[in-house]
Amino acid sequence: MPAQIRIYVSGLYCGGNPQPGVGIVRSLRAAFPSSKIVGVEYSNRVSGIHWEGLDDVWLQRPWDELDLDIYAERVRELVGGGALWISGSDLEAMWLASIFPEGHPNLLAPPMQALKRITKPEVLGAKELPVKIPTFISTDHSDWDLHAFCRQHNWRVWLKGPYYDAARTPSWDVFEAARNALSKVWATQRLFLQAHVSGYEESVMLSAYKGELLGAVSMRKRDITPEGKTWAGDVTEVPDEFLVPLRRMVKALNWTGGGELEMVRDAAGELWLLEMNPRFPAWVHGATLAGHNLPALLVQAATGAIPKPSIAHGEEFTRVVLEVPVRKDFPLPPLPEPFAGAVGHSMKHPSGLPALAERLQESNPHMLEVIGDGDGTEQVAKIPETMMQDLGSYDFAQVQTPEFLFMESTAASLFKRASERAHRLSTNEVQVITGYSIKTNPDARLIKLALDNGFLAECISLAEAQKALEVGFRPDQVILNGPGKWWPEGLMPTEQMHAVFCDSVADLDRCVAALASGEMKSKHVGIRIRTPNIRSRFGIPLDSPATFAKLVEAVKRLPTDTAFGVHFHMASANVGVAQWWHLFESILKWCRAIEKLTERDIEMLDMGGGWFPDDVHDGDEDKFAKAVETARAVLPNVRQIASEPGKAMAQPSMALAMRVLEIQEHEDDYVEAVVDGSIAELPMYFFYPHRMLRQCGETGEWQPLKRGKTHLMGRLCMEHDIVAANVQLPEGTRAGDLLIFCDAGGYDRSMSYVFGRG
Amino acid sequence: MYLAGAEKRQDLIEREAERRSCSAKWQHFPFSTLSHHGEACCDIAREWLLAMDFAQLNGGDLLSGPRWMRQKYKWGPTAWPIHWCDAVERDTLDCGAHAAIAHEAFRARGVTSYPAQFVQQYSPDATEQWQKKWSEDDVSCHWIDDGVIYHEGVALLTGEDEVKLWDASAGWWINPRQQPHGYGSLLAVRIHAEGQFGVGDGFRWGEHRIKPGAWHEF
Ligand SMILES: [Zn+2]
Repeated sequence: MPAQIRIYVSGLYCGGNPQPGVGIVRSLRAAFPSSKIVGVEYSNRVSGIHWEGLDDVWLQRPWDELDLDIYAERVRELVGGGALWISGSDLEAMWLASIFPEGHPNLLAPPMQALKRITKPEVLGAKELPVKIPTFISTDHSDWDLHAFCRQHNWRVWLKGPYYDAARTPSWDVFEAARNALSKVWATQRLFLQAHVSGYEESVMLSAYKGELLGAVSMRKRDITPEGKTWAGDVTEVPDEFLVPLRRMVKALNWTGGGELEMVRDAAGELWLLEMNPRFPAWVHGATLAGHNLPALLVQAATGAIPKPSIAHGEEFTRVVLEVPVRKDFPLPPLPEPFAGAVGHSMKHPSGLPALAERLQESNPHMLEVIGDGDGTEQVAKIPETMMQDLGSYDFAQVQTPEFLFMESTAASLFKRASERAHRLSTNEVQVITGYSIKTNPDARLIKLALDNGFLAECISLAEAQKALEVGFRPDQVILNGPGKWWPEGLMPTEQMHAVFCDSVADLDRCVAALASGEMKSKHVGIRIRTPNIRSRFGIPLDSPATFAKLVEAVKRLPTDTAFGVHFHMASANVGVAQWWHLFESILKWCRAIEKLTERDIEMLDMGGGWFPDDVHDGDEDKFAKAVETARAVLPNVRQIASEPGKAMAQPSMALAMRVLEIQEHEDDYVEAVVDGSIAELPMYFFYPHRMLRQCGETGEWQPLKRGKTHLMGRLCMEHDIVAANVQLPEGTRAGDLLIFCDAGGYDRSMSYVFGRG
Repeated sequence: MYLAGAEKRQDLIEREAERRSCSAKWQHFPFSTLSHHGEACCDIAREWLLAMDFAQLNGGDLLSGPRWMRQKYKWGPTAWPIHWCDAVERDTLDCGAHAAIAHEAFRARGVTSYPAQFVQQYSPDATEQWQKKWSEDDVSCHWIDDGVIYHEGVALLTGEDEVKLWDASAGWWINPRQQPHGYGSLLAVRIHAEGQFGVGDGFRWGEHRIKPGAWHEF
């Protein structure tokens, strides 16, 4: 009589994001009814230890207190003594691989070399599979570059660690918080941002022994939990175009054990690989129910034992919730006391997996090089040369901090470039012009630069219009916009303006009356339309056919002796660059519909931007040229296209100088430095990163601030007055040292407020 | 005993034949289209719907289903004929109207779509509910047939001869790998397209080949 097969199975967690252990046990039990199956766990809070299919439970202390040397010895004895081990946890599989770098015939988990080849996000081992890898960037990059990545991908991005956590980061402040939390939990700074791929999730599960593919199945998620985990699915054979390279990959990796490739199929049918897990997936038994018992194939390969044939119950499976009795030997532990004043019991990670991650990292820091494109050292954002020149022109001994610094040559070059670009983009039929949005920074020096470079003045109030006129703009160079165009009373220019855009139907009727009475004169009179798919409070809404009908009727009331135009605005920095271009295309369609329904030709198109400086100045000019062409194709009567890169002009044009007041050093290199600047001068601190410099007190050298454990706290007695979190002050920084926050010339400057100045 | 058995068998054969030609009842039934007053009211409604569909894509793929329509217009009884200006202002639309506007939206996006008619299996309990609801609204129940229903959607061409079937009233793509019968399953489909596809074999939908213009039963 052959010896009884003994199999140790770990990863028995059964919460909303379950591990595969129980599924593996059920599949093995079906195939090898008389085998001895032992569940391995690291917390008696893991409910899977009570599963009836287990003959025994081998419970270890949680990973944060487990003596890994003793434990490794016990595992060696077990597999050396003929027991099989199937790991249901990624981190445990990594630890096992570090104990058995070349594997062991009874350890049914991949060797270290294979694990290294499937590290997220590149998954080098899967290069030959017919899949794409979603775009990613290592957080080794500067905050400046990370913000750019988020903008490029419409803020539909995920922050991921080397293990299995991921957080959606739809805005900069959320990103910063998530980065903090993830790097703390997983004890690593090696995170990455990855673009989201929209589509339907599917997986391929495989089983292999010593590089031989034993079986593989494909599963599409058919129902998901709130966390996006499988709740139901359908299982089919893996098509040949995937199976053939998969077999080669398994061979090349010398894979042993289960594995799962997690993918998304987009609308065009393309597959995107999110990650590869070094274990069977939690839905493993769903495949067994469909007649594909992959754990059984693995045990068969390792032992030669013949499994009972699998019975296919149909290709679809689903989960249900079951109550099971608790094992006598493992009574339930008490619930921990809620933290005083807090809500809930805080019960994440009962088996202490983050602690295992930390210990693995300590023992082998290079075990999981996350991304090949960085060497682990942080890259610092480049400061443009003109900015350095501008800083050089200041005598900081005379600067009373905090103080905004006008970056003269930076500003001049930006306005010049924008003007030249508009010129280049103009064609015989369509003139491309640029408007300077006064509100982004009403500093007279910037308004003057706008004037000198042939910009129009884009104003949202009569006060702003007056300011433009004072600096030298003529009324026919003024565009009046927004809901505040009648304020303050009595300041309406008496001469003809370039364009007026009505913000609501009521505003339009008031404009029509003012034009009729001669109170207002404008060459173009048009409407601002509200973005239909992105929330906005501005412009005439389009959200229902009835409101659209009102808009059409209103446009018909506009005087026919003025040219008609349409304005739209959405901050590209907030919605993302690609989304903004989609919006542009969408607005053109609305414009076409408005032309058709009102029989008014659109002669002027004014597209507001909220562009991040780099997206305009370093952006693809072809894209803008194409946009002009498209606009012309859709709206053949357009004569003028105005763009409004206010933020892109103003933001780099000023910096904020501040001084360190005090430095407090705390435990674990944590530093709190108080500065004389504050969020009253940097209200945009939460929305985007600023490039920061410190001037060395002795040499006068400018040093960029990297990421670190220092918080720069503003001078205000307000809890949230932290102007920079997680930076590193260069060595030798003392009270009195000068710090420069670049990129503070946009809304930081114009929305700064007087607070705490007595 | 013998006779009773034969009767029973005959009954089964008839039912089987009926089951097999589940689409017979709707053999000459046309797919739905919205009517147009030929005036500004319907022009505005149509332009609004098409521009809104593109806006709602949010930069997503042109081949993605217009799920927003189902969110805006719940599924419910619709009296026919219905005009554009009426349809877009309603809170509920039936599958014919859902399918008609989705088809128009796909066409406006520049992708190729065809009207599709479906026969689906549900249960007598379900059809009893719908029968009551539609009758209360004084709307025709021609689409209900004791556990089986007539339904409409859109076939979207995604490759040379490959289609996906959009159920506009559900806001999902019908699963080409579905089990051949059962609650909610697709029993038959007719795709209204002119011309030859798949070298005369018809459209490819998963493993199936569907000839255009004729009911295809699964
Ligand atoms: Zn009408």
